[in-house]
Amino acid sequence: MKRWLKLAAGAAAITLATAGCAGSGGGDDASGSGGGQGSTLTVWLMTGSAPDSLTTALDKEFEAAHPGVKVDFQIQQWNGIQQKLTTALASDTPPDVIEVGNTQTPAFASQGVLADLSGDVQSLNGAQWLAGLKASGEYEGKTYGVPFYAASREVVYRKDMFEQAGITKPPASNQEWLDAIAKLKAKFGSDPEFQPLYLPGQNWYALLSFIWDNGGDIAKAEGPNFKSTLDSAGAKAGLDFYKQLVAASGTTAPKDNDEANPQQAGIYGGGKVAMFVGTPSELPTAAETDPGITAKTGAFPIPSRTAGKSAPVFLGGSNLVVPVNSKNTDLAKDYLKLLTSAKYMTQLAAAGAVPGTSTDVSALSKDPLGAVMAQTSKNGRAVPASPKWGEVESGQNPLKDMLTAYLTGKKNLDQATADANTALDKIIGG
Amino acid sequence: MTATKDALLPAGTTPPASARVGPAKRRWSAERITPYVLLLPAVAAVLVLLGWPTVQMLGISVRQLDLRELVTGKTVWVGLKNYTDVLTDPEFWTVAVRTVGFTALLVAATLLVALLIAVLMRHLNPVLRICVQVSLVLAWAVPVIATTTVFQWIFDQQYGILNKTLDRLGFHSFIGYSWFSTGTSTLVVIGLLVLWQAVPFVAFTLYAGLIGVPREQYEAAGIDGAGPWQTFRAVSWPAIRPILTMVTFLSVLWDFNMFGQVWAIRQGGPDGASTTLAILQYLKGIAGSHFGSAAAIATIMLVLLLAVTARYVQLLVRTKDGEIT
Amino acid sequence: MRKSRTQRVTLSVAGVLVALVFLFPTYWMFTTALKTPGEILSPKFDLFPSSATLANFASALTKPGFVTYLGNSLIVTLGAVLAALVVGVLAAIPLARFRFRGRKGFLLLILVAQLAPLSALFIPMYLLMRDLGLLNTLPSLLLVYFATSLPFTVWMLYGFVNGIPYDLEEAAMIDGCSRTGAFRRVTLPLLGPGLVTTSVFSFITAWNEFLFALVFMRDQSKQTLPVWLSSFRTAFSVDWGGVMAASVVYAIPALVFFLIVQRKLVSGMTAGAVKG
Repeated sequence: MKRWLKLAAGAAAITLATAGCAGSGGGDDASGSGGGQGSTLTVWLMTGSAPDSLTTALDKEFEAAHPGVKVDFQIQQWNGIQQKLTTALASDTPPDVIEVGNTQTPAFASQGVLADLSGDVQSLNGAQWLAGLKASGEYEGKTYGVPFYAASREVVYRKDMFEQAGITKPPASNQEWLDAIAKLKAKFGSDPEFQPLYLPGQNWYALLSFIWDNGGDIAKAEGPNFKSTLDSAGAKAGLDFYKQLVAASGTTAPKDNDEANPQQAGIYGGGKVAMFVGTPSELPTAAETDPGITAKTGAFPIPSRTAGKSAPVFLGGSNLVVPVNSKNTDLAKDYLKLLTSAKYMTQLAAAGAVPGTSTDVSALSKDPLGAVMAQTSKNGRAVPASPKWGEVESGQNPLKDMLTAYLTGKKNLDQATADANTALDKIIGG
Repeated sequence: MTATKDALLPAGTTPPASARVGPAKRRWSAERITPYVLLLPAVAAVLVLLGWPTVQMLGISVRQLDLRELVTGKTVWVGLKNYTDVLTDPEFWTVAVRTVGFTALLVAATLLVALLIAVLMRHLNPVLRICVQVSLVLAWAVPVIATTTVFQWIFDQQYGILNKTLDRLGFHSFIGYSWFSTGTSTLVVIGLLVLWQAVPFVAFTLYAGLIGVPREQYEAAGIDGAGPWQTFRAVSWPAIRPILTMVTFLSVLWDFNMFGQVWAIRQGGPDGASTTLAILQYLKGIAGSHFGSAAAIATIMLVLLLAVTARYVQLLVRTKDGEIT
Repeated sequence: MRKSRTQRVTLSVAGVLVALVFLFPTYWMFTTALKTPGEILSPKFDLFPSSATLANFASALTKPGFVTYLGNSLIVTLGAVLAALVVGVLAAIPLARFRFRGRKGFLLLILVAQLAPLSALFIPMYLLMRDLGLLNTLPSLLLVYFATSLPFTVWMLYGFVNGIPYDLEEAAMIDGCSRTGAFRRVTLPLLGPGLVTTSVFSFITAWNEFLFALVFMRDQSKQTLPVWLSSFRTAFSVDWGGVMAASVVYAIPALVFFLIVQRKLVSGMTAGAVKG
């Protein structure tokens, strides 16, 4: 059948060529990338993951150590990545090293499309792997993903505003947090544009912290299956605290959208916001509007209901995987070995990420915002390790709908959580 | 250019009765092969590049094709399981009804607005007509991705210019009003976006049909004392009916299968209330990696679309065929 | 028929309104592109810009690869448009000028071939291109865009050829032209506006396509402008000013194409050949 097809399409191509309008010859470049005779190693990382200086140095060092091997390094964008990965994995020459989001890794691992790296954990610095990411790369006792880097949320705040409002130390419990909001409001509330805490309706990463802090969870494992637990008391308490925050702050952030639309850091940069829940990497966006804001900005961990503790945080990040169809598995492992080495992990940490295969976070801690993240990421947690969780994020996320419905008053607490529970079960349950 | 115009003018009215090769018998056989040779590239292209993937899609719809099977190339037949799974899901029927209703309303709105604009263009003075034409051409030429982004931004709850303007005009309840809180209002915004993108093409096409009608016919109607509405019914309507058939067919096709705009605005939310069949197909296929179920949904969409457009296809083929035989 | 004054005023007002409504999103895209990040995220009423910055345009145009992407987009789009026109004209001739068996079947084929949702065909199409060894080459995209606009092109061009009286060709043949010569010298030049009108449609379709471009082209150096445009959105942020500036830049080639062809466009449509 395939040969027949080739003939037919060949005929069509000839027709086009004789009609004088075929595209300029692509036949030659077809073999140019994507593998050749194992002399090219294709690496796909996501945009914004690692600084250019790191990848350039890394590729150079790798090529120097492997004469005759060329690294074909490509940066992928998030838009459409699901389609791109799906089809790339199905091609004859898939990329050899791919960065995959930690919540997406189980989906790929469970489908048997990733190479088993269990035997290489030791040589890839396995002893120092970041716990929260490590679990996401494992499936049925085997290791498929190597932790790359992680980030977590914290409360980013304006030190100068806190000082003016008479708040001497960052809030260390939910109550203190609400008190701080009240104080800020009393001090700056005369400005109608001022918001003590910018919190959009669908920041579900923040919601996760509140749910976990209240002893709840999104779902629980029942053998190999999962059952969602959004209707549990803990989950309800977490959702309710979210609403308390929104009400206390009187934030004008959209209730029907997340922290990226519009990007919260841009609004923080406008100077009328005292706090937002985000990652350190968002600060440069704020600095685009107001370069002076970086110096005035500090951070504290998301507070807990228990005074003195901080709430667990969602550990978002990426793993590195090798497709099972890769023609260069050994080279790919060598590349991983280099990337996971202390040298490059330190560079990654210096660029503001929690390194995946190194416990040394000193480079990250030099930055005040990074220091908080380095500390809280030890208390980092992950979403249920269900192979179907990826569908929650790349499809319609019931947690976001739940937040909007409850915050806008369209549904009450019981209704919102019950509906979301059913919707989530439909995706990950069974 | 006047020569071109003169030569072309009878186009709309003259049935090309003479436009035919002489009696076939007198020609030698090469003459008989010619049409097939000329059609060959088009037929080959359509069969290989559209037909074959469609057939493959039908094949995939009776297989289990997840990421695993896609990568390993393994074929797992599951018969009609994908279809029964889809058809027994109550959500599917809600979505199907919503999609059909949304398409019907959207197509009707597109045609109505475009027709009004086409008629308007015919009656405007030249300066204003060019202004309208330029604005339509601009709307048409701006790429879909760009328009979609702009619409998202215009309708933004907090920073959108729409709410700010409504507030200025005295409708203060629109401060922080969410246009995406219900499925219906989300679909309305999507509908406006699509209208804005689709109306120019349809309006231009209908306008072309309207000015194809010789002036004398309008004048004759005027002398007979017909009002504007009667003139429209008697003179314009018959002239644009075949065009309407075609643009209706195309609009149904585009609106029914539309994915990008719906997904970009709210991913089919809130609570899945603006989910259409194309979104459902995407959720199964790409987000869930169940390409078999997705192909089953796509096949059902194809069948639905065939059922809806069968009459138009028949009409279109008949008119085209009638022109020559 | 003379129109009364009130009628004319009503019509003019309606015309102005229509023009404004259809201009607004384009206007808004343009003014947003001229704003700083702070102004974009400002709660102030800003229907009319108070100041303008070109920074967004500068950052959009200096984003690496713009020229490459523009080139790729132009090759793929113009190639697909040309291919569709040539194959379309070839198919339109027999439909308009010959009587033959299978004519109806062909008309049916090109109508039905457009029905399947493209978003569902992308896996089969990807496999097809993979088996043809065309992945990661511009011709793969060119072929897809050519194929998706072909049915419409054939349908339209058939109408146009049909609208050109055969007598003209016959006259040329009496003057000693061959059949092909007659078509080339008489009908083809008259087909100009028809070709333009049809090509606008194919152009827009190909110029806008994102998914196939993203998936088929593995190397960044082979991506097209829609993919470039979407790279202004990252996982956690949208650079609105950048997106708008990039959208303006992205729309310019399409606008230029329109401007080049617009005179023919209206006359092409006027020819009444779009008749169903």
